[in-house]
Amino acid sequence: MAQRIVPRPKEVQFKGLGPNFWAVTAVLALLSIANALYFMYGSIDWIMPGASHPVADRASDIDGLFKFMAVFGNAILIFVAGYVIYFAIAFRARPTDAPDAVGVQIHDSPKLELWWTVLPTLLLILLTGLSINVWYKIQFGTGAPGLTTEVIGHQFYFEYRYPGLKTSVFSKTEPMHLPVGVPVRILITSADVIHQFWVPEIRLKQAAVPGLIQNLNFTPLRTGTFGIACSEFCGPDHSLMQGKLIIEPVADFNKWLAGEKKAAAAGGAAVDLSAGNADAGKALFAQKCAACHNNPPTPFDQKLVGPGLLHITDDPAHPNLVDGKPPTAANIAEILENGYTGPIGAMPNRQANGLADKDIANLVAYLSSLK
Amino acid sequence: MHAGTSTHDAHEVHGHIHPPPEGFVRKYVFSLDHKVIGFQYFFTGLLIMFIAGSFAELVRLQLTEPAGAIMSHTAYNEMFTLHGTAMVWLVLIPLVTGALGNFVMPLQIGARDVAFPWLNMVSFWILPVAALILFSSMLFGGPHAGWTEYPPISLADGTAGALWCMAIFVIGISSTMTGLNFMVTIMKMRAPGMTWTRMPLFTWATFATALMNMIATVALSAAVGALFLEHVFNIPFYDAARGGSAVLYEHMFWFYSHPAVYIFILPAFGVVSEVLPVFSRKPIFGYKMIAFSSMAIAILAFTVWAHHMFPSGLAPWLQLPFMILTYAIGIPTGIKIFSWMATLWGGRIYYTTSMLYALGFLITFTFGGITGVFLASVPVDLHMHGTYFVVGHFHYVVAGGAVMGFLAAIPYWYPKATGRMLSERMGQLGFWLFFIGLNGTFLPMHWLGLEGMPRRYASYVAFAKAFPDAVFWNRFETVFSFFMMASIGLLAFNVIWSIKHGKIAGINPWGARTLEWTISSPPPYYNFKKIPEVSGRPYDFDQPLPYRNTDNELEQYPEFGQVTMPTPLPVGA
Repeated sequence: MAQRIVPRPKEVQFKGLGPNFWAVTAVLALLSIANALYFMYGSIDWIMPGASHPVADRASDIDGLFKFMAVFGNAILIFVAGYVIYFAIAFRARPTDAPDAVGVQIHDSPKLELWWTVLPTLLLILLTGLSINVWYKIQFGTGAPGLTTEVIGHQFYFEYRYPGLKTSVFSKTEPMHLPVGVPVRILITSADVIHQFWVPEIRLKQAAVPGLIQNLNFTPLRTGTFGIACSEFCGPDHSLMQGKLIIEPVADFNKWLAGEKKAAAAGGAAVDLSAGNADAGKALFAQKCAACHNNPPTPFDQKLVGPGLLHITDDPAHPNLVDGKPPTAANIAEILENGYTGPIGAMPNRQANGLADKDIANLVAYLSSLK
Repeated sequence: MHAGTSTHDAHEVHGHIHPPPEGFVRKYVFSLDHKVIGFQYFFTGLLIMFIAGSFAELVRLQLTEPAGAIMSHTAYNEMFTLHGTAMVWLVLIPLVTGALGNFVMPLQIGARDVAFPWLNMVSFWILPVAALILFSSMLFGGPHAGWTEYPPISLADGTAGALWCMAIFVIGISSTMTGLNFMVTIMKMRAPGMTWTRMPLFTWATFATALMNMIATVALSAAVGALFLEHVFNIPFYDAARGGSAVLYEHMFWFYSHPAVYIFILPAFGVVSEVLPVFSRKPIFGYKMIAFSSMAIAILAFTVWAHHMFPSGLAPWLQLPFMILTYAIGIPTGIKIFSWMATLWGGRIYYTTSMLYALGFLITFTFGGITGVFLASVPVDLHMHGTYFVVGHFHYVVAGGAVMGFLAAIPYWYPKATGRMLSERMGQLGFWLFFIGLNGTFLPMHWLGLEGMPRRYASYVAFAKAFPDAVFWNRFETVFSFFMMASIGLLAFNVIWSIKHGKIAGINPWGARTLEWTISSPPPYYNFKKIPEVSGRPYDFDQPLPYRNTDNELEQYPEFGQVTMPTPLPVGA
């Protein structure tokens, strides 16, 4: 191979880590410290609404995690961007260099590489610990719910259901109400497509998925009016799927709920259970209930999602219904009406299941006939 | 040396050179030449990028008014759906694997073509077919449910939704075949002496990408195949009322679509790993760690998909492993970023267009990576999921990472592809337009999202009432988004203008040391008359070239500076 012999190129020379390396490092460190101080002591309300006055019990935990990541994440960004810009300027090719000069020919540095593998790993392990802690509080920290409500997503509104209230509250016309200081469980599902229930100030969101009942648990900490938004694309008017949430003192909440109940009682008559048709109920059971209850019905302990309903009225081992009431027709109808949430699971209410008055009567007739 | 010996034998068997094909159709339309196929991918991808980019501009214009400025909600939903779908499947994947991988990879390993040239040709021709199917859906009202097309809402798209499924299914076949083709090519067709640890880093990245393309795409095909059956034959895979599960689709979709993000980004990593050493006149720092971290990312990418679904119906305990694995993927990514920084240190740095894009990439991609850690944390994600923070994050990764890497690659390999240099003046202006436009467009999205602006909103009246600044920031983003559009327009003009008017490039204008710079520009039909022998890594700038048996008489120490560059930064000598 005939290759011309040319002199080997020379490396460029400079002192130490490079001109002004430590000065630049000091500036970047100061910027990082300023960033840390800002996130530790400054107000971040302008990016995280309500950060200085948490609206719910988990909001400040989540904000704390956010601040931790902002402190370290921004510091990493400051150092990476700062060094990239500094290196690009400090080590630029100069006309005074020999035209074929090359940079410093180093290939690696196991020590340095070990540091920048181990340090981020330790940081991420710490972050994992902090994240799991907050996750645990979100899952288990709120305690037994003092109020269980239901949210059902529709195109393009939210439907809110309250215990003992036979009519629904709709986001298009009315705000959702929650009492301050009471642990709340919100059961969330959808009647059509996937939606998402989000109150930015509470910091939690949960998808409303058809066929699944999921929940959000939190305790509202302060009163006020907040926006509810659907944050999963749900169709043409997705962006109009907005609601209001009023968090108010318990007394005001109870007053509001009592008012709603009174209005509901004035509006509708109680379901007439005597006209139920067991055969129609059987067909309806296969359609509406069989996703969670065995069909044909089995004894109580043979569960699918919910218990088997074969001996609902005459099971010596379970003389009462799951809500502890005797298995009368009216009490069965009440569960169908309002749904159930308790130690053995959750069942949606009549709105979520799409049951008309006569459907409830037919189902009660069918269930009472099971022996 | 075992691999070297066996590839050597393969070349002995097929050592003769076929004559180039005759006639326009065999030469330029149904060509089997990987370089021509690379061009075909490039120009098709660039054309679709204009279309999909225009959709994005319509989306941005709509948001200049809280109530929506220019179109109906339905039209807006169609625009962002087509923007996302076309950019992901018809622009990014074809550009970074099809165009760059096809043109560069065989040249870098000293091969005369890919392993299966026919398969390669078919893979390319699927792309325009898929594009026609996707865009023809606009005649049937268009798909509306976002690039994810989650059922049940996507089932409302009817015929257009079925066409969307078809387009994705068909382009998936192309991706899988390209992945297989590249894997076999890299495993079996490296020049003698090119062991795994002497492979150029772009080829390493292409290998990791091909692995993911081959494995992940199948899950997507199954997901959209089932969605197609639900559209057309009403088989209830995803309909909860009839025993299906909407969450199942999300799992299958993200099992592909998370690795897909790495499919875009790994080739960009590869480009940056080539560009930084050349324009710093320095060996890449930590070659092995960069190569292995590509493989680590490719493997970990398959274990993190459900972090897209934290609030979507995942069992709560299942959130934790996905969070921890997602954090873990930050470690190899961090190793890469720190290694690139260390490559700059002590270099002799030239500000070419490619280098500017690579430097910009380091900053914007790091930003996108860090916001990714925020989103990986389950509690914080419960706030951020589905907001503009997510949109900002992934555009920093995709536009600030994958696209910037791609834009660094164009001026770098254009001289090899055409024999002429791209205009540096236009290129550097293009860089500043893109870099400023990118940050101006996507940075404000982060605080808009944290304040409470959900993504995919055709109007934001309630949000603008709560945060009056939102209108200003949305208009700000719209203005800056046109900077990016102008930059891509300038690139297209530059690419066409320079074919005639660019400076003659010569064999090795950058003084680079990978194998493609040892053959003439543009390379002859069969690339290498003689298959070169490799005796070292291509990154040692003070050593003689590690090749023997090359076609041309080469400078032992290829020198940078046959082309003079304007210096963009106002710093003296």
